[in-house]
Amino acid sequence: MRRSTNTVVTHKVVTHKVVTHKVVTHKVLALGFIAVSSLTQLAGNQLMAQEEPFQTVITPAFSPVTWERLVNASDEPDNWLMYSGTLDSQRYSKLNQVNKDNVSELELQWAYQIPVIDRAETVPLVVDGIMFITEAPSNVVAVDARTGGIYWRYDHVLPDDLRICCGRNNRGVAILGETLFMSTLDAHLVALDARTGNLLWNKEVADYKQGYSKTEAPLIVKDLVVTGIAGGEFGIRGFIDAYDPATGDLVWRTYTIPGPGEPGNETWSGDSWKTGGAATWITGSYDPELNLVYWGTGNPGPDWNGDVRLGDNLYSDSVMALDGDTGKLAWHFQFTPHDVHDYDAIQIPILADITYEGSERKVMMWANRNGFYYTLDRETGKFLVGKPYATQTWAEGLDVNGRPIRVPGMEPTYEGILVSPPIVGGTNWYSPGYSQDTGYFYVTAFDGEQEFFKRDEEFEVGARYTGGGGRYTQPMDAFHSSIRAIDPVTADIVWEFPIQPRSSAGITTTAGGLVFTGSADGFFFALDASTGEELWHKSLGARVHAAPMTFAVDDKQYVTVAAGNVVYTFALRE
Amino acid sequence: MGLNSTTRWKWLLASATLAVVLSGSFSEIPFGFLSGTIIGTLIGTPANAEDGGNLYNTELDVTQGRSYFERQCSRCHGFDATGNDETGAPDLTGRLNRASTDVGIFDILRNGIAGTAMLPVSATLPDTQIWQLVAYINSLSADPANIQLPGNAVAGMELFTGKGDCDSCHMISGKGGRLGSDLSFVGDRRDPEELVSDLITPTKDVEPRWWRLRITGRDGTVREGFRMNESSFSVRIMDTDENLWSYATNQIETYERVTDSTMPSFAQTLTDSEVDDLVAYLFSLRKEI
Repeated sequence: MRRSTNTVVTHKVVTHKVVTHKVVTHKVLALGFIAVSSLTQLAGNQLMAQEEPFQTVITPAFSPVTWERLVNASDEPDNWLMYSGTLDSQRYSKLNQVNKDNVSELELQWAYQIPVIDRAETVPLVVDGIMFITEAPSNVVAVDARTGGIYWRYDHVLPDDLRICCGRNNRGVAILGETLFMSTLDAHLVALDARTGNLLWNKEVADYKQGYSKTEAPLIVKDLVVTGIAGGEFGIRGFIDAYDPATGDLVWRTYTIPGPGEPGNETWSGDSWKTGGAATWITGSYDPELNLVYWGTGNPGPDWNGDVRLGDNLYSDSVMALDGDTGKLAWHFQFTPHDVHDYDAIQIPILADITYEGSERKVMMWANRNGFYYTLDRETGKFLVGKPYATQTWAEGLDVNGRPIRVPGMEPTYEGILVSPPIVGGTNWYSPGYSQDTGYFYVTAFDGEQEFFKRDEEFEVGARYTGGGGRYTQPMDAFHSSIRAIDPVTADIVWEFPIQPRSSAGITTTAGGLVFTGSADGFFFALDASTGEELWHKSLGARVHAAPMTFAVDDKQYVTVAAGNVVYTFALRE
Repeated sequence: MGLNSTTRWKWLLASATLAVVLSGSFSEIPFGFLSGTIIGTLIGTPANAEDGGNLYNTELDVTQGRSYFERQCSRCHGFDATGNDETGAPDLTGRLNRASTDVGIFDILRNGIAGTAMLPVSATLPDTQIWQLVAYINSLSADPANIQLPGNAVAGMELFTGKGDCDSCHMISGKGGRLGSDLSFVGDRRDPEELVSDLITPTKDVEPRWWRLRITGRDGTVREGFRMNESSFSVRIMDTDENLWSYATNQIETYERVTDSTMPSFAQTLTDSEVDDLVAYLFSLRKEI
């Protein structure tokens, strides 16, 4: 297996070397056509060919990415080895060359233009100087991380009758050994050779014609590729899968909606469990010590009409903790029982060990689309503390178990009813961040409201099954968003930085004391992680709809973010 | 009061055309897949269905189209079809940018728009249902040809530059002021009822572009102007002397929004019939198709 072969090679050996090449220059060709007749006479003569030395910097073929490297990814901050940076998904980098004192000197190094126009939601990976960028609809390009120069690209062939909810997106790849793994919009999982882009295998995860699709970056868990599914607006039944990286064979599948006879199935009236959604369209996290995979689940379907699916609708809008080897459910925590507002728990679980009420606790931090922030014990799923972090009107608060206490009469109606957060949520899939230096959790928060409608719909395979929808009653410019820093011990907001009016950017923190993020009005910016003070901003001219990431090559730190259809890379002025 | 005129034009909306009346029965036929040739022959329109326009636009068709829209299209275009900044999906309740005919709308629905997030409808969706969707989209904006207004547009044009003094702030075809929106094609985006409301209660639902920002500099200087753009790190305004200003928000002391309108109400200054005349003129300002 890849795991064993790779242990021999330590990645630190492979740094950029200056190599001298011998180049053969055929000077005779410059003499033109007349010279051809004399070629034979010149054979053996020094004029025929002349050696000229020249120098080039060779980016090495990267060393294979072992599981050990992934577990210890935070110790090699030069690389960004998975979607959320590390298995705990903190998005905290130990790099500090760019820091509070010099971040204002960041300047553009290169830009990569994605050829297919859509919103770029990609978080690139960087492995030993090579960057892997995913593009809409389901393509990958490998570039030199210092220059943006292309090594190879993979264009995935898609059918033309896709069922996709919300845009042709792909958020990134996972890497193990020398293989990349990518979700595709036709609900396949593909494996690509990281050195060439060659397709190694192409596995159908589910039938796209039934409304399934895939957009999220897979997560490597030991020797498995763990991955989720999208399609919560099409009456699918969600699941989390694990595949053999060598063959693409399914190793385990855990449905997010229990089948008949399984505990939790009784939380769905009638046959509604069959079409209950609970998709898993964003990447989860993993704790190697506990051997638990944590994954968020999406809304129950139909989204806005709960009449046809009475009950709590487990395990929709939940975090599920699964055994890393078997996929067996260890515990779950449901943020929004019987959701009727599309408050997906499609957020990335951030794992950290913190001091809580005097003792060291393994916790999980979660700012949910429903407007509440939660700190959970990740060994047991026990609720520790939670409070609203964004405007919300649907719940009076959380009870001692973290279950929401609902405000009566906030369900969608045929006529429409105004509720906060709006459908897009207090936050959404945008990656939150955590700083090991400040101990704060950072989230992109939206204070908005929307009118929610209910409709009666019959389920049809492959068709949308949402039971309603929403509309804004004010222009978007009337609303505000903020980057909010939350203390996970108290769930209190420590500081906030206002954004006008929206952001769907993720957050990355660094040992340089920085929080990097972006905004819908096209800014990429850095805040002081302790105070929220703005330290640097740059207009990239189009919406930042992805999370930034940072890496280093040859001891030079870079910061990369996608905006519009472009991937921008910055570094300090030299 | 001028508000009376808000309802007056409505009853004048032309009733169903011959094609509409006929299609009411066609839509009951299973599959609804009558070829254009047959329909065209029956009602004496051109033989090509594409030239015949939409034959499915009874109230029932509109309702069916709306129901399909809410289910399949509202995620991007909004439940009320007014578009969504988040998804980039355009407002469909006014003049459409990419289609000016029923066939044009049909083709977009059937084929999508290449290179955009606008995907085609399901390949198995019958044409009938697409036409119903076209009918619903059409129902979101009144067909000007079917609207007869009580006012006199020529008299309205005189009011615009005369008694109403509208042109001191508003521009039409390059003539007029800069302190209000360009009204050259206002009839494409505002229906007569909305235009009456704009004249009588202008402070209701002011577009963010016409909010004002009151900016206080670090030296205490206050400058106010129309909100041309307000971003996370900077603001841009045009003051009443039509100067353009751009400020980095971290270099000013503070700023505040004023979200009412600078436009006066004409409820007292114009008579009902003058409001009607002005509305007739403004509604006539549309792009030629």
